[in-house]
Amino acid sequence: MKIIDTAFNRRTVLKGGAAALVTMAAPAIARGAEPAPIKVGILQPVTGALAQDGEYGRMGAELAIEDINKAGGIKALGGAKIEMVFGDARSTPEAGTQEVERMQEQGVSAIVGGFASPICLAGSQAAARYDLPYIVDVGVTDQIIQRGLKNTFRFAPGFALCTGAAIQNLVKINEASGKAAKTVALVHEDGLFGTGLAKLMAAELPKYGFEILELIAVPTPSRDLSNVVLRLRSLNPDLVIPSTYYGETVLLARTMQQQRVRPKAVYSVLNGAASNRRFVKEFPEAAENVMDCNHRHDPRNEKAVALQKRVEAAGKVYNYNVPLNYSCVGLLADAIERAASGDRKKIIEALGTSTFAGHLMPYAATKFENGQNMGAAPVSTQVQGGDIKVVFPETFANAKPKFPANG
Amino acid sequence: MIGRGYLPIILVTLVIALTPLVISSNSFFNFTVLVLIIALAAQGWNLLGGIGGQTSFGHAMFFGIGAYTASILQTHLGVNAWISLVAAIAAGALAGLIVGFLSFRAGLRGSYFALVTLAFAELLRVLANASELTGGAAGLLLKLDPGFANMQFSSRPTFMLLALAFVFVSLVITQKIVNSRFGAHLVAVRENEDAAKALGVDVLTVKLKAISLSGAMTAAAGVLYVQYFLYIDSGIAFGIWISIEALLAPMIGGRGMVLGPLIGAFTLHGLGEVTKSFAGRVPGIDLMVFAVVLIVVIAFASSGILGLIRKLADRFSSKGGA
Repeated sequence: MKIIDTAFNRRTVLKGGAAALVTMAAPAIARGAEPAPIKVGILQPVTGALAQDGEYGRMGAELAIEDINKAGGIKALGGAKIEMVFGDARSTPEAGTQEVERMQEQGVSAIVGGFASPICLAGSQAAARYDLPYIVDVGVTDQIIQRGLKNTFRFAPGFALCTGAAIQNLVKINEASGKAAKTVALVHEDGLFGTGLAKLMAAELPKYGFEILELIAVPTPSRDLSNVVLRLRSLNPDLVIPSTYYGETVLLARTMQQQRVRPKAVYSVLNGAASNRRFVKEFPEAAENVMDCNHRHDPRNEKAVALQKRVEAAGKVYNYNVPLNYSCVGLLADAIERAASGDRKKIIEALGTSTFAGHLMPYAATKFENGQNMGAAPVSTQVQGGDIKVVFPETFANAKPKFPANG
Repeated sequence: MIGRGYLPIILVTLVIALTPLVISSNSFFNFTVLVLIIALAAQGWNLLGGIGGQTSFGHAMFFGIGAYTASILQTHLGVNAWISLVAAIAAGALAGLIVGFLSFRAGLRGSYFALVTLAFAELLRVLANASELTGGAAGLLLKLDPGFANMQFSSRPTFMLLALAFVFVSLVITQKIVNSRFGAHLVAVRENEDAAKALGVDVLTVKLKAISLSGAMTAAAGVLYVQYFLYIDSGIAFGIWISIEALLAPMIGGRGMVLGPLIGAFTLHGLGEVTKSFAGRVPGIDLMVFAVVLIVVIAFASSGILGLIRKLADRFSSKGGA
């Protein structure tokens, strides 16, 4: 009995052992069929002062990763999936840096996002230590691309590209209307953003035959702009150019509406409200006909329109951050595809030679010069019939500019 | 022999200084650098607010003055980083003297003093946001150029050791003050200003000394910040965040105690980081922990973590004696 027992036991152990081996090996075989995922860091401020914008950006990146994975992942790597490593930058550069360090330790191949200029500056610099590619989504300050960091790429237009395009667009729209507008009043917030922009416009616009009547500085925050609007009434300019943040722009537009000050056009640049859905929704009458030169998706791009419908069907707000981050992740996936590797240096090389055109933005083919996408450009928009329409340049427009809007 | 109170300082510093031998995670060093910078700023606050009892709500002004002085000297005038550091610390001390002279001579105490410091910090923030010297709203960017001469280090542990050296010096200075006659005067002013005056303490001089030393320490923290992150704007340098950090760390760690700010900064941010790694998918979870710790400490240990430990130790030793 004893002998049989032992033999039986040994056999059982052997059988069990073999079975265990097979079980352990099975997932390895299954794993072999699916290549290791490529980790991508998505950095956005989803808490703190910039939480709203960060949430838009995260949504865009998340949707892009979802779509890329559904379409079969990175084909050059045998269909490797993209795995998102999300980091909350908490609206501060310190927290952004800490998240970049964490992503580095989790072995990401690249980072996308940042939103605010200080977060982008600090985050891309921390990533540069590890030759970690960093794609800036918004970060408008041109300092981001002036530091000679090889890992940093900005897909969207910066301050210089935006202001240059804003002036050119305005001149062309005005010429097409038979030079309806001649005199200009600039209303600007008194920080560097508004002051810098207003000074630039005041220096550039006279070259194209505009007459600058006055520069009016407005503090942020302002609670009442009646005096400013009274001044506008007496100046009676053809064109009012506000470079102010959300609250002041809304206040200015509403006060102008109340006091019936109707210039031929209101044309703003990188404005906080003029192409924001919330403004149009809450104050449709004050917002009507207001123009802006800003980031925007390409309204003629079917994929962009489909994305907007998808986001809005989910009951969420569709702001420019969504298609922009969607496109940035697409740009990165394209680079990984061409690099055929998750290796950081190869991805940086591939980004540097990118001609990515599968994005949702009104940009020419991607071409990076010192980390700036030279194909990027803002568009001029106008609120028409309660909707924000792109009116210039014509290749991306889905409406004709109503210029002059009054008279 | 080592004087009274120095042993814990040396031990804590040694423990932090030896971490690079066992830990290799840059994420840890990056975290520690930020905590040390906050601890240094908070030590400045602790000297004036904790030991001297003059609660400031605007230590951002010293932090910002330090950061901007160092950056402006380097970017506009090409001054060496270490010389800029000395100049920035001096500027912090001078700012302390000026603000102190204006407010203490006018007899401002308690919440009035707190409000005046807050106003100064806000005033400087608005000025820095508008002035061309400070780069306005675009801020100032130091050129990334690692090297000892530029006080920039490509290795995170090295910068951590530098920050630790600053914190160590601040701890030693604070302990020295606590042990000295000047420290006794400061405590006397905190406990009862009129009584101190009646006993012949020159209240104004004591307060001025304290605020200028405090300003110098917090300015040094500002310099470390800009040398590490290489970018400041008015919201970072003079923003309310650093005023709050500088005040919370000693509150949590132990107000008026030498190691209070360091312990407080580590506890607050450490707990935040740990929660983030456990529940990283919920945005803001670390901030909630931050709030809970704050509420618990204020409610149950009003003299901070160190105060609680001391109280418990006293209770046990008295029980043992009885």
